[in-house]
Amino acid sequence: MNPFSALTPIVLLGLTPLVLMLVISFHRSHRLAVVISLVGMALPLALLAGTATSAAPPLAPLLIIDGYALFYIGLLSTATMVVVVLSYGFLERVPGNREEFYLLLTLATFGCAVLTASNHFISFFLGLEILSVSLYGLVAYLRTTRTALESGIKYLILAAASAAFLLFGMALIYADLGTMDFTAMTSVLAAKTREPSVLLLGGFGMVIIGAGFKLAVVPFHMWAPDVYQGAPTPVTAYLTTVSKGAMVALLLRYGQYGGLLDYDSVASVLAVIAVLSMFLGNLLALLQDNLKRLLAYSSIAHLGYLLVAVIAASREGSHAVTFYLVAYFITSLGIFGIITALSDERKEADEISDYRGLFWRRPWVSGALSLMLFSLAGIPLTAGFVGKFYVLTAGVLSDLWALVILLVVSSVIGLYYYLRIIITMYLSAPEDPSSPLSATRRFSLPEGLVLAGLTVLLIWFGIYPAPLLSAIQAAVGSLA
Amino acid sequence: MLTEALTTSALLFVIGTFGVLVRRNAIIMFLCIELQLNAVNLALVAFSRYVGVEGQVFVFFVMTVAAAEAAVGLAIIISIFRHYRTVNVDNFNLLKW
Amino acid sequence: MSLAWILLLPFAGGLAAWIAGRWSDLWARWIALGTALLHLLLLLVTWGVFFTRVAPAPGGWLMASKQPWIPQLGISFHLAVDGISLLMLLLASFLTVLAVLTSWTSITRSVGFYHFNLLLILTALSGVFIAFDLFLFFAFWEISLLPLYFLIGIWGYENRVYATTKFFIITQGSGLLMLVAILGLVVVHWQSTGVLTFDYLDLVGTVMSDTKAFWLMLGFFIAFAVKLPVVPFHTWLPDAHTQAPTAGSVALAGLVLKIGAYGMLRFVVPMFPQAVADFTLTAMILAVVGILYGALLALGQTDLKRMVAYTSISHMGFVLLGIFAGNELALQGAVIIMLSHGFSAAALFIMVGDLQHRTHTRELGRFGGLWAVMPRMGGVGLFFAMASLGLPGLASFVGEFLVLLGAFQVNMPLTVLASVGLVAATVYSLWMMQKVYYGANTGDWQVDDTSGREMTVMASLIGATLWLGLYPQPVLTTSGHALAEMKKFAAEARATAARPEGTGSAASGAVAATSPVGGERP
Repeated sequence: MNPFSALTPIVLLGLTPLVLMLVISFHRSHRLAVVISLVGMALPLALLAGTATSAAPPLAPLLIIDGYALFYIGLLSTATMVVVVLSYGFLERVPGNREEFYLLLTLATFGCAVLTASNHFISFFLGLEILSVSLYGLVAYLRTTRTALESGIKYLILAAASAAFLLFGMALIYADLGTMDFTAMTSVLAAKTREPSVLLLGGFGMVIIGAGFKLAVVPFHMWAPDVYQGAPTPVTAYLTTVSKGAMVALLLRYGQYGGLLDYDSVASVLAVIAVLSMFLGNLLALLQDNLKRLLAYSSIAHLGYLLVAVIAASREGSHAVTFYLVAYFITSLGIFGIITALSDERKEADEISDYRGLFWRRPWVSGALSLMLFSLAGIPLTAGFVGKFYVLTAGVLSDLWALVILLVVSSVIGLYYYLRIIITMYLSAPEDPSSPLSATRRFSLPEGLVLAGLTVLLIWFGIYPAPLLSAIQAAVGSLA
Repeated sequence: MLTEALTTSALLFVIGTFGVLVRRNAIIMFLCIELQLNAVNLALVAFSRYVGVEGQVFVFFVMTVAAAEAAVGLAIIISIFRHYRTVNVDNFNLLKW
Repeated sequence: MSLAWILLLPFAGGLAAWIAGRWSDLWARWIALGTALLHLLLLLVTWGVFFTRVAPAPGGWLMASKQPWIPQLGISFHLAVDGISLLMLLLASFLTVLAVLTSWTSITRSVGFYHFNLLLILTALSGVFIAFDLFLFFAFWEISLLPLYFLIGIWGYENRVYATTKFFIITQGSGLLMLVAILGLVVVHWQSTGVLTFDYLDLVGTVMSDTKAFWLMLGFFIAFAVKLPVVPFHTWLPDAHTQAPTAGSVALAGLVLKIGAYGMLRFVVPMFPQAVADFTLTAMILAVVGILYGALLALGQTDLKRMVAYTSISHMGFVLLGIFAGNELALQGAVIIMLSHGFSAAALFIMVGDLQHRTHTRELGRFGGLWAVMPRMGGVGLFFAMASLGLPGLASFVGEFLVLLGAFQVNMPLTVLASVGLVAATVYSLWMMQKVYYGANTGDWQVDDTSGREMTVMASLIGATLWLGLYPQPVLTTSGHALAEMKKFAAEARATAARPEGTGSAASGAVAATSPVGGERP
């Protein structure tokens, strides 16, 4: 078999934006663009089923298509499909050209796929920049509204600067280790017995800055609340799931090969970042009234939890990270999906007060939203609980007691704002009959189906996570 | 020789970083980012002389990506200028920074 | 026979009630009532089976069933019922029937969802009482919060949002602390045997250093102490009780407090004998403080419901005293108090609910002279005031007497102080009667006496209290057997694990000992 056939999923993902570009230049149709992007995301998924079992073939030095990469590519393209469905309803409501949105979206996912499969600094950087540059366009897509433009320029400048840091870090590591290939790094590092050089540690530090920015962990989180609030809601959903997920996938792989987690000093820096993210994220979320902004802070906290499992640097840790990400994807896509689907031309349903009394008008929607929020809060019967439980287990198995206890304390703080949203939905509706009710838009059929599917998955993985766990163990096993 | 190259590129990088942090004109900030990227390029080329060809190859990728980034970035800055008649980031205050 | 019906029946009934509630409130009520009654009936049959058994099964488990659930983490769906579980299940089921009956007319909004929540509480608490896998136990423990959260938050009184949020955050925080303790225990077990498991029967014999045992014990203790509640952790209780709808209060006082006590009995005492022995004095002091503090604050309340809530703290102090006194008498007494307090607190909360339904107030100062207009309710009130102050012949007398008798052998001064709590109980019970029923009808209340439905509820509670007070032997046999077996089993498991060649096989041995129990019993 031609070893390059293993590349097919990534090639297909890369072809999708090209096809879209050609089609758009001949015939503009919103529906057609949606269909092409959905097919483009679904094709690699279909292929994954066939290739998932095959061992990682020796490929060009840049990419490695192992079970791990395939699992993440599947996860990311599925999430992108959800975002595409949500975007359709969203873009129908806004003026201007819509088709290019999908071009950028599929391009960004292609970048993410390269990230998850990258085995080299060059592919790392390329994947990251394909993702980032597409995201600049996506965040500022509604270029007639000021908030979108503002969040666009903020994201642009901070992302570009952080990419520069990442690049400088790569250069330093290259200077010290003499290679940019992850696999080669492992052997170089194994040969070294002495203390890490200043170059290497400095390089690690700058890579952490670059990655931390994409993950929006404290202290690299400043962009997140603004961009989350200002960007179109489907893009926010994309930012919080696919973009972060790809970065985490890369970080796990790089941590495994590049020796990122082998040094105590690096681990303690990550631990400080994790603790700051958990606490600052949860505490600042308490103060928010805008749901998207609140979720930005909540996402900062969740990445902090996730880092605990990354720091655990064990097999269980990698499993926990992956499971947590899956749960987090489902939950975040669900919440942002509901926000998108409830918004209409008049107003985006992104203030907490918009949800007052929702239960009495839309019991199913508010039930699903409650479940999603309970999942974020880590309450049993939801995937989020199993994820948090797994992260805690991984932490405890690696004897990270302090981090585990801090995680528990901060998630108790976090409960408050999740409960605040939930209880708002169950309060009586505003008395004043003249004020138009917000958050009233009816869902379209695809939106309803996608959201129902996410809710079902949320419960299923919460009650019976064993099949997903086996899949993750098989996939992540190929990493080590 | 390596030390000199490293020092120069580190110096350029710091100047770039400093510029991003203190300047308020979006175009200048963007230029400073370019300076950072080129500082890295310098370092990569210098290191390449000692450890292999990979660094030099990487520089081409970085230059390409920088060009793409500039294209998209300048487009956003132009739309901003059309709306606000300024590219001073202190004037963008709809969202809390 | 699988034990899953204990969980599936109320859950399915709850769903059915919810769905039926979309069309007819009455249907939802009847479905909920029928489900709870059926659940109670089946449990009574199971209890009957318990007495017909000739010889107890090894391990003392009445029934057990175990299915793999998340094998990657050593988590199984392990359910088992022993005497204590069975008594608690009966209490839960019984009180749920009453909770449905008391909400018959007072709840009019979202009736279907309301009954779903009630039955979900029953499901989750049943799960807590029969889960023999620590992960499963924790999951049910947490799930039990959700329906209560909604019950208080949607159908509660004026200050419900504050109360329900506080309740949820404090109890969830304590739950997470327990999760950390569980994980700690699992890791200790994993490090010594190399087996990752959450199974109670494997973990109960874990051998560990005294320091580790102490910290893990403390983690479990605090988690259960918040639910019980023990005094420094009690602040959520008065608020939650006061704002909860009547059925919510019944569930809280009758059931949720009991899972704290159950947890101590099931986990803290058998798993960490040495740490518990070292901790006895502190725990007993906390218990006595709780008894006196609860009674004292009950006297200071102006809100009738809040007052009943504080008496709960006092009564649960006796439970804690009994559990940590540790001898058989005291443990038996603690189990009896758990049941008797379930009856009497439920009765008092239902009484307050009925009064509030009629008078729209809970202010003690506004009541008075109600005996003249509602003598039947007054009689019921008097009966449960007597039950609460520990009149011989009624249920709590048996329990408190046994606890004091047992505790006396362990620590005399503290027991004497605890008996002062009995005096205080007399004062607040009579004071309550005085304020509400006796004296002149200053509020000029013209209200109906109890209806037939309300009287049925009260009569069943009176019957249960009398029966437990006069003939507690079946209960004592059931719990005594389970307590003895639990102790013996834990000691054996520990001995097996301590033998060097026995490492690892302790786990499988324990499972093998219990798995054949099954439902083959006659």
